[in-house]
This record gives sequence, structure tokens and C-alpha cells, in this order.
Amino acid sequence: MHPRRLALAWAFIVCLLVGHNAWLWIGQRIAPDTDILALLPIEKQDPVLQQSFTHMVDSAQQRVVVLVGARDWAAAGRAADAYRTALAQADARAVLAFDAIGDDTQANWLASLQPHATLLIGSAQERQLHTHTAQVWADDALARLYNAFSGPRLGAFRDDPFGLFAGWAQERAGETPVRPRDGRLFVAGEGREYVLLTYTLTRPAFSLDAQDAAVPLLDGAAAAARRAVPDADVISAGVVLHAAAAGRQASREIHTIGVGSVLGIVLLTWLTFRSLRPIGLTLLAIGVGFLGALSVCWLLFGQIHLLTLVFGASLIGVAQDYGIYFLCHRLRADPALDSPALLRRLLPGLGLTLLAAVIGYLGLALTPFPGLRHMAVFSALGLVFAWLTVVCWFPMLISARTLKAGPLARHYRALVAHWPRFSRTPLSLGVLLALAAISVAGWSQLKTNDDIRSLQSSPAQLVQDQIKLGKLLDAPSPVQYYLVRGDSNEQVLQREEALKRRLDPLIGAGHLAGYQALSNWVPSQQAQAARLALVEAKLLAVGGPLSLLADAIEEGPEWAAATAAHLRSQGAPMRVDAFLHSAAAAPWRHLWLGEIAAHSQPAAGKTVASIVAVRGLRYASLPVLARAADGLAGTQWVDKVGGISQVLGSYRANMGWVVLGAYLVVFAVLLPRYRRRTWRVLAPTALASVLTIALLGLFGQPFQLFHVLALMLLLGVGVDYGIFMQEDAAEGDDAAWLAVALSAASTILGFGLLALSGTPALRAFGLTMLLGAALVWLFAPAFSVTKEGKHATPV
Amino acid sequence: MKRLLAAFALHLALIPGLAGVAHAAAPTGQIGAMLAKPDQLCGTFDQTKRLAGMKKPLVSTGRFCVVAGKGVLWRTLKPFPNTLRLKRDEIVHLQGDRVAMRLDARQEPTVRMINGVLFSLLSGDLGQLDSLFEVDGSVSGDSWKVALKARNAALARAIGAISLEGGAYVRSIQMVEDSGDRTEIVFSNIKTGPGAVLPEEAAQL
Repeated sequence: MHPRRLALAWAFIVCLLVGHNAWLWIGQRIAPDTDILALLPIEKQDPVLQQSFTHMVDSAQQRVVVLVGARDWAAAGRAADAYRTALAQADARAVLAFDAIGDDTQANWLASLQPHATLLIGSAQERQLHTHTAQVWADDALARLYNAFSGPRLGAFRDDPFGLFAGWAQERAGETPVRPRDGRLFVAGEGREYVLLTYTLTRPAFSLDAQDAAVPLLDGAAAAARRAVPDADVISAGVVLHAAAAGRQASREIHTIGVGSVLGIVLLTWLTFRSLRPIGLTLLAIGVGFLGALSVCWLLFGQIHLLTLVFGASLIGVAQDYGIYFLCHRLRADPALDSPALLRRLLPGLGLTLLAAVIGYLGLALTPFPGLRHMAVFSALGLVFAWLTVVCWFPMLISARTLKAGPLARHYRALVAHWPRFSRTPLSLGVLLALAAISVAGWSQLKTNDDIRSLQSSPAQLVQDQIKLGKLLDAPSPVQYYLVRGDSNEQVLQREEALKRRLDPLIGAGHLAGYQALSNWVPSQQAQAARLALVEAKLLAVGGPLSLLADAIEEGPEWAAATAAHLRSQGAPMRVDAFLHSAAAAPWRHLWLGEIAAHSQPAAGKTVASIVAVRGLRYASLPVLARAADGLAGTQWVDKVGGISQVLGSYRANMGWVVLGAYLVVFAVLLPRYRRRTWRVLAPTALASVLTIALLGLFGQPFQLFHVLALMLLLGVGVDYGIFMQEDAAEGDDAAWLAVALSAASTILGFGLLALSGTPALRAFGLTMLLGAALVWLFAPAFSVTKEGKHATPV
Repeated sequence: MKRLLAAFALHLALIPGLAGVAHAAAPTGQIGAMLAKPDQLCGTFDQTKRLAGMKKPLVSTGRFCVVAGKGVLWRTLKPFPNTLRLKRDEIVHLQGDRVAMRLDARQEPTVRMINGVLFSLLSGDLGQLDSLFEVDGSVSGDSWKVALKARNAALARAIGAISLEGGAYVRSIQMVEDSGDRTEIVFSNIKTGPGAVLPEEAAQL
């Protein structure tokens, strides 16, 4: 095809890509998938487990919890009022909605349970029913009857003569230290009294506009509270605060690292080409690559994961090489040679770099992990699109006169000419031995660490607030809980009860403070029947405590019979479904996942699932809690933090093998063209990778997924350098030297500077790229064949 | 958070009588000035309860003590003895020597709050009362009368209507609950000063 027509055809395709992307991001408002567990292999994904995460995490994510405290309740109230007033303006309400506490809900919740009151007995009193004598129960009831302030009591005396329902309510109240007080929510701790305020974000917590809007509002409100009461303290927690802190850190880094690397690259390009057009063109190629990869990936998978995008962004490192290679040759080539003709000459080498990189990335697609497959397809497509942009457009946009050699381009040649070459001299072998020694030393000290917490980079203040708030509120963990499932509501409730019997002794041993479960509210039918029988036998039977009580107050057997009948009438069976619709269920509804469609086994019948949440768990007790579910049918301990760490670990291991496999595949692809020189293409990259890992070991950096991802990228760029060097060795010009130098320097400026980042994952990626790219750059000339060398016997 | 923290009912509601021991009333300033506010105060009480579904009223008598900085002791003596003790951080119900019920501030945060309200009431600090109740009162001569209505619907439902009468001290309390249970307490033989608290009572407080 004529180059001009080719360029136009490509322009048409690029227009389609831009249109499709605009439609996706602006029209459809697509958002990348952020759930890291979506990256697990399909067969390991469990829809019930997945839904339980969504249940627990997604709603928690939107919440901002604030404690406003002072030395006494009145001052705390004044500070809280100032805080609320500051957030009551219309613009604030549009971002943060106040979660009001419904007064009516509170009043009604007990009423809805009254018909079942006889069934609701706390676990301590249920045990006492077996041990206490009839006289003790009768005495207790008498005391309750006569005393004006007889302790917890609900309703009229005859509704609960033995205080069982009140005891149960007391036990339920113990599941949270938060109490309504004067129309506010009250928590006390560490000698201070706090007002609890909760807000719900109206926009997704991870969206930038939510962060930009919410954080200044919250800061302003805290300042208002401190103005009202100078010694007030404001403790806040919420995912949005962590996201905003991470965002602030990122933008700070963009201002320092980003500006630094852009300036560096601009300077480098100017000094080489005396023109900034190469940067624009390189960015154009990368941009088209990114848009193309995203479009096709979306069409193929219907979703895109954030981690895929992050890894895809690293494409820039490889995609820039094609443009730089062409530009460097344009600079060095005879001006009489027109650009399309030059491209035709470069096409074999360019084609091979693309092929090697695409094949290398496609190795990722062979792993069972959907995330890695997406990354593979995304990266391979991105490279193809970037490559096609270079091939179709660059010859049209760059003519022989566009570029002039700058000072850097002129002097670099001299430096490289004197670079030591690898050969069989004792010096070379000595250097190689020294490098081998460093590698062995470094590798032997290498440790791995996949703990997600090591990637935590939130500011200390935020983490402290979170811990303090967790302690004061004694809230259950949203990421560690038991998942209970069965084939009916009844089975799930019975299984919860079996689990609770195991947990009760663990509470005594201090492994956890308590648990929340729907079966605390709605006992299984089995347990309901057992309790009714127990009440009947131990309290209501003729001659039992109720009769003794009737005698003591001289009401006689008629009163006893009437009261017994009244208590029996309060024993209406409880059903999960009905309870979930009542006001009392509002705080607990999230614990019940209900019926879940299991797509994988439609024939297996229905699955009902619930969550048993744990409060006040200690980190050291996690293994104990995990073991508590052992051997209980349908009961599973879920630890999302541990789960994510596991995903990162298995990705690290699998990705490591893929990198090794990619070396072999690339070697096989290059073999037909380079024959006995093939090893020279790969040797600089391989050596640099081995040394980089060794250096990480020597620096005491724990090895993790992000190091491996960087090594994969290093292979991509390193192979390019190797091919460039081998391609041009024959012509004896120095365009390849220059291309490698420019490309490596840009990679170091673009990625290596991430080593200065405050975000641990980026720092790991950046450090690996910094060391690796610098080493490849140093090694590449050493493995190239000089003109003379090529005619001599190649090693 | 609503669901995590629970729209748990006003916990005060579980201990209805306590919030009702209001010795105070409004017009707050005037009544506050009339109250004697001694450090130690003891006396006898006569209580009559009329409960839904029962023919006969339940009558009981006993002694009570209020000691600033220590707490409240409520000793029922007839028809059979039992004791309720309120301290800053706990509520204990004694059946002879057996602890029939104990509620402490660690397990139930409202204990301190309830006792705090009660103590501030007894010492004549009516500011606290105002946040929980609408206080409607009148003064005539050397005696006063007050009706309390809970501001919170849940509390109102649990406690019902409370009315107090008194002069230098509270003379009587009346509680009418929604359930139909009614309680009337009349105080007499009030003594103040160092000799008011009996030795056995001092030992218990």
C-alpha cells in the first residue's frame, strides 16, 4: 500500500478508537474494577464469598465515622453541634449525608419483638435455667416485683416476670458500646465522652471529586468543633480519607518526580535532536497504543481491572522504543534517503522487537489467573497499536530535515567506541566472576513478603485515628468474619448456633470480645422449641417458680395460670424473613446474605448464607479464630486481608515463572535471525535482571509482586536494546547506540524515578526499573559485536 | 454505621425507675433553692404498686440513703429484705448476700450516665434533668409539685408519666407506665447529717 494511503487508513482507525474511548469513559462512565480478588482464578472464585465481601466492604467504604469528644458530655455536645452545623450547608450536604438516628425506630424495635419475648433468652440465663432452683427464680421475681428500681425491665411486670427478655436485651445491647443519649449517639472512653456522628458519601469514595470535596469539608468541620470547644478532639475514619491521603501523596509526587522526569526527558530529546517534535510523536504512539488496548480489551472482556491499567501504563517503557529507534536512524541516515524507504530498511528489526515483546507478554495469558490474562492481552494489543502508529505515521510526519544532531548525539559516539567489550580475556572473566559472587551473595539474602499491610502507606495520624476509633466503638471487623451457609434458613441458623458454642469459650479466653449474628436475634426453630420447653419445665410448670410467686403475693393459682398463658402467648415462632422486615433488624440486616444463586452449580439447589461478625479480635488470635470453624459443616473463616496477601503471593510466584518462560520463547523467536549471536541479544537483560534481584537482596528489600512486574517490563525493553544493537552492528553506524541510550535514559527518568515514591508498590517497581535499566544500558554495548568481531569467530 | 452501632433503644428505658427518682422540678431555680441538698440523707419509704393483671396492690416499706460522693442505698425491709446499691460505676442488686444482678459501666456504658443523672438530681443540679425531660412544675408556699415528661419517645414509652412532690426534700414520687403498672412512693422520717446513715448502711455503701 502507498505510505500516504496507509497513514490515512490508520488515521481512520485511530479516530474510531478515540470515539469508542470517549463513548466508554464519558458516555458509559466506565470505572475500572478495583476488587483485587477478582484477579483470582475463576475456579477459586466463590460467588457466595464474593457477595459477602461486597456486602461487608462496599457499604463500609462509603462511610465516614467521626467521634467528637470532650471532657464532659455537655462540651462534647456543643462541639458536635458545631461540627454538624459546619456540614449542614447545602454544598456540604450534597457530598456528605448525615445519618440521622431515627427516634421512632428506636421506640418501635422492642414492640416488634414483644410477641416473641418468651423465646428470647440470653445465653447466661439460659444456662441458669438449668442450674438455679425454683426458689431462686421465685425470689428474683419477687424482688423485681417489689422493687421500684429493680434493674433492667421491659414492659409490664407480667410480660417478663423473670427478667429473661430484659436480660436478653441487655446482652444484645452489649454488642455495641454506643448508646443513644439526649438524641445523640454516645460513647465513652479514656476519660472522655464522645458524640458519634456518621456520614455517608454521596459519591464513590475512590472518585477524585469525592476526595477533593469531602476532605476540606471534614477539616473545616473539625476546626469549627475546636473553635466551639478548644480542647475538643475529633477522631475521624473512612476509606475516603485514606484514598485522599494516597491521592495527595500521588499528586505531590507528580509535582516532584513527575516534573523532574518530564524536564529530564525534554532536555535529553532537545540535546539529541534539537527538536521537541520527537517527544510529541512518541507520546502520540504510546497514547494510540493505550486507547487501542483499552478499546479492544473492553470489547473482549467487558471490564478492565485497575491493576491491568497500572501494568498497562508500564507499556510506555516498551512502546517508546519503536519511535526512538526510528528517530535515531532518521538522524543518522543519509538525508537523501526518504523516510518511507528508511522505514522499509528498519522494518525487520522493528518487526522482531514487536514479535518478541508480544510473544513474551502472551506467556502471561497461559497462566490460570484472569488478571494476568487481561494484562497479557492489554499489553500485547497496546504494543501492536503503538508499533502500527510508528510504522504508518512516522515516515509521513518526520522528514530528513526535521531533526538535527544535538551535542549529545555528537559526543555519545566517542564514548561508546571506547566501551569495554565482553570477550574471553582474563579481565572479562574476572569481572564476570565478581558479578557472579555478588549475585550469589544477594540471592542468598533475598526474602519474600506478600503481606498487603507492607504496602500500606497511609499517614501515621490516620492509622492512629482508625485504631483509636476501632477501640472506642468496638466495631466488628469488616474484613475478617465467618461465612456460614446451608440449604435453608433453618440450617444456616443451626450452623451459626454450633459456631457460637465454639466461640463462647474463646471470648472467655480473650481471643475476641464478642460476635454479632442473626441467630442472636432469631434462634433456629430447633433452639426456639428447646427454649420454650425449658421455660415450660423450669418456670411455668405447676409447683414451679410461677406458682411459688403467686403464693407469695397471695394471687393464687388463677393468676399463675393467667400469667403462664400470657407468657405462652408471647412465644410466637420467629422467622428470619419476618424479622428482617422489622425495625429491630435494621442494624443487623447486613449479616444475612439470604438466598444466593450459585451460577456454577444450578442443580445443587439453593444456597442460603450469613455472616457471623467478630468484635475486638486480636491480630495474634487470627489463627485461633480460623481454627474455630474447622470441622463445622458449611462454616468458613474469611480473612480478606490474608486473602489479598495470598493473591499477591501466588501472582508473584506465577509471574516469576512466566518471566523465565518468556526468556525461552523470545530466544526461540530470535534464533532464526541471529543464529549463534542470539544469546548476545538476551544476555545484557538476563544479567541485569539477576544482578538487580541480587542488589535488592543486599539492600534488604523484601521481594514481591511489583519487583517481578518490573522484571517483565525490563525484559521487554532489554530485548529491544539487544535487537537494536545486533541489527545495526552490520551497518557499523551508531544509531542503535543512540537509540538504546535515549530509550534507557527515558525509561530511567520515567520509571526509575518512581524509586523515590512514597507508595511502597511504586517504589518497588521504580527501584527495580532504575537498577535494571541502568544495568542493561551498561551491559548492552559490552555484548555487541564490533565490525571486526563479527568477521572473527563470534563467541 | 447506623447498622453497626445499632439503633439500639434508649438504654435508659431498661431501668425505668432510675430516671424517675427526680427530686427536682421547675421552675428549676426556685425549686433548687428550696431543696436542702445535704451531704447525707436517709429516711423511710412506703411503696405501693398496682400492677396490670393483679387484684391486690403490692405494699412494701424500707429505708433509703443518699450520700454525696458515695451513692444510693435502697433497702426494702418488708415484706422481705433486699437491697439495691447504686455507685458511680455500678448498679448491684443484693438478695441477702447473693448478688442477684450486677450491671457495671464497663459492660453497660449507660450505668455511669444514669447514676450521674441521678446524683446530680439529688444534689439539686437540675441542668441534667432538663436534657432528658420536659419539666413542668409549680410552687406554692413551702412545697412544690413537678411533672416530668421524657423528651425521647422510647424513654417516654418505657417510663410513662412521673410526678414529684416535695419541699426541702422530695416527699413523694408517682409513676404511671404505659403498660398500666403504677407505682407510688412516699418518703418520711427524713434525717440528714452525720448520724443519718446507720452503721450497717455505711458498711454497705
